[in-house]
Amino acid sequence: MWCPVKAVPILGALAICASLVCHATGDETATGASAPTVIRFVSWKPDYPRAWDEAIRIFTERHPHLRIEREIAPHSSTAYHDLLTQKLKNRDPSVDVFFMDVIWVPEFAAAGWARPLNDRFTEASQEAFLPSTLEVGRYHGHLYGVPSRIDAGLLYYRVDLLRKYGFEPPGTWNELVHQATTILDGERAATPTLRGYSAQFKQYEGLVCNMLEFIGSHGGILIDEDRGAARLSDERTLAAIEFVRARLLGPLASRALLTYQEPESLAAFARGNAVFHRNWPYAWEIANNPDRSSIAGRVGAAPLPGSDGIPGVATLGGWLLGISSLSRHADEAWEFISFLTGHDMQRFFAREAGIAPSRTVLYADPELLTANPQWRSQAAVLHSATPRPRSPVYPALSHIMQRFFSRALAYPGLDLEPEARRAEREMNRLLDLTRSEAP
Amino acid sequence: MNGTAPASATALRRDRLAAWVMVVPALLLTLAFALYPVAQSLMSSLRRRFLGVPALGDTFVGLENFRLLAQDPVAHDAFARTLGFVLLSTVLEVALGVAIALVLHEQFRGRGWVRAAALIPWAIPTVVASQMWRYIFNDQYGFANLLLYRDQVARYEPWLASPAWAFAIIIFADVWKTASFAGLLVLAGLQVIPDELYDAAKIDGASAWQRFWHITLPLLKPALLLALLFRTMDAFRVFDLVFVMTQGGPGDATQVLQFYGYKTLFTEGRMGYGAAISVSVFAAIFALSLIYIRTVGSRLLGREDR
Repeated sequence: MWCPVKAVPILGALAICASLVCHATGDETATGASAPTVIRFVSWKPDYPRAWDEAIRIFTERHPHLRIEREIAPHSSTAYHDLLTQKLKNRDPSVDVFFMDVIWVPEFAAAGWARPLNDRFTEASQEAFLPSTLEVGRYHGHLYGVPSRIDAGLLYYRVDLLRKYGFEPPGTWNELVHQATTILDGERAATPTLRGYSAQFKQYEGLVCNMLEFIGSHGGILIDEDRGAARLSDERTLAAIEFVRARLLGPLASRALLTYQEPESLAAFARGNAVFHRNWPYAWEIANNPDRSSIAGRVGAAPLPGSDGIPGVATLGGWLLGISSLSRHADEAWEFISFLTGHDMQRFFAREAGIAPSRTVLYADPELLTANPQWRSQAAVLHSATPRPRSPVYPALSHIMQRFFSRALAYPGLDLEPEARRAEREMNRLLDLTRSEAP
Repeated sequence: MNGTAPASATALRRDRLAAWVMVVPALLLTLAFALYPVAQSLMSSLRRRFLGVPALGDTFVGLENFRLLAQDPVAHDAFARTLGFVLLSTVLEVALGVAIALVLHEQFRGRGWVRAAALIPWAIPTVVASQMWRYIFNDQYGFANLLLYRDQVARYEPWLASPAWAFAIIIFADVWKTASFAGLLVLAGLQVIPDELYDAAKIDGASAWQRFWHITLPLLKPALLLALLFRTMDAFRVFDLVFVMTQGGPGDATQVLQFYGYKTLFTEGRMGYGAAISVSVFAAIFALSLIYIRTVGSRLLGREDR
């Protein structure tokens, strides 16, 4: 009597296995000989989905033998990183093209996830791109990514308020404090919610970008890359952090900045609640869009301030396109990347989405400059932006810095120096691990 | 059933076999989906593998990762924070759960609706609930500020920017979310207490408080312990609340062990060390459940034996 009972689960198991196998082989056979080659593009969720749909439509129209299959990951850079590296780590061969944040290239190169592009990305074609964006795509002499868009920290300000009090955009942080204090004193009665400064101080990657700018403009650095040693406890670094703790957070800026990423900080500025605002180039479009901002037309952008004799520093951000080393369609993938980073498409994205292009010549394009007049003043900032430390263990280094900076800002009484030394020790331990990697 | 002795022996053997046959699929599934990942994590936790540094290779290092973990001040902080979270949230949830259960146990009009409504927080996915609380405690448009300060917008408080408040709010959100689940478990316990006991106590002149203290609470013990067991184990794994609401900040104030493990494993690519963190969370929960089962289980069984 129990024989059939025994057979049921076995048959069931067989059926499950069979369906799995069928499914797997079914996938394989779907890409037949006559069907177009599928390029799988793992992308973050774009800010301007319509421009992206259009770009891909144009590409498939011009390349009928190719089909782009997009996998849309979350918008957040870290979430995208975790999803993408999960696929690459598990040696998923279905990934062909992906974005790399400028800070990921060493990791992707060292882990063997990204394919070196030297053969395809010739020196002649490299010359058309901004040098700083090329540099971040390089690791141990090889190029792993083609610059797709560039980002750099900028200081946005309220043109109307600065003009009312007779100020020019501040050249130093002390000037910024002075101007903001004066304006807040004058405007308190009219706009009680107005604060002096809005930026991204949440415990995440953006905090490192913001702090790099304060530290750099006080003459400090995060890591001495030649020696492979963290420099968080340097006098200038600590002075920069002390400036943020004592003179910005609290007196001029809401402590709410400790919970802000880009969207929240921009929302506060666009609602008219901040005199100054630090953000990436994309903020221009939104802050000046009457549908999304109550201060449209009253927004200016300038380089971030420096401090006595030291020029301001803008953190370099942006995205490169890379090819997975496991891709079976590297040639087709390269065709897609060349298309996206080509002159026409860079111009298209600049025009349609206000994205700062990676090709130098476009910063002199009359039509683009009419649409984006701010580029005239920002071009220099975009070209000379400072990259974050380049290391294959950057994500781990960044976590240590995020913790240190966030603790420094969240606990105003915290003794900075021992905390900085502890963070340095942890970072140096990680940096030592990678030293054996160097050629 | 009523066959001779040898026949019943074969019948028994046959029954056993049938039992095995029926259990095997479930067992295999458990092996594949529970034991295999645990074993896999355990194996990884004994190896050194750092995705960004392939030169380190993928080598067996024994308990090295656990030795590092024992010396890692960030892990210590995260562990202490997790324990604090477990303790506070569990106690509050079970206490509130008793209150909810007592209300739901009473006879009143529309009790069915109230019972269903009480479970709504528990039915909402944690990620959605976390996002909701994040909005509620927002500094610019949060409902908490509206409630407290009305139109005095300039006084609006950035709750999640304060380390102490952020931690308290995570606990608050967890209590809101799961107190009703604890309440449900307690309610089940309440329902098996025979009404005669209360009637007898009433005749003896016991006050409502005395009835609660001397009848309800002692007889509720098994249900309470069960609720405690479930909540402690669950609270130890807290992740989504932190992931959505604070990302561990500000200044690590809400970084719990599971989130630290996630960052290490998924973002930093330290496969061995990250696995060691998950394994220690697993070990802590396992140890806790053993203690519970020892004490709770013996009490539960003890009552049945008597």
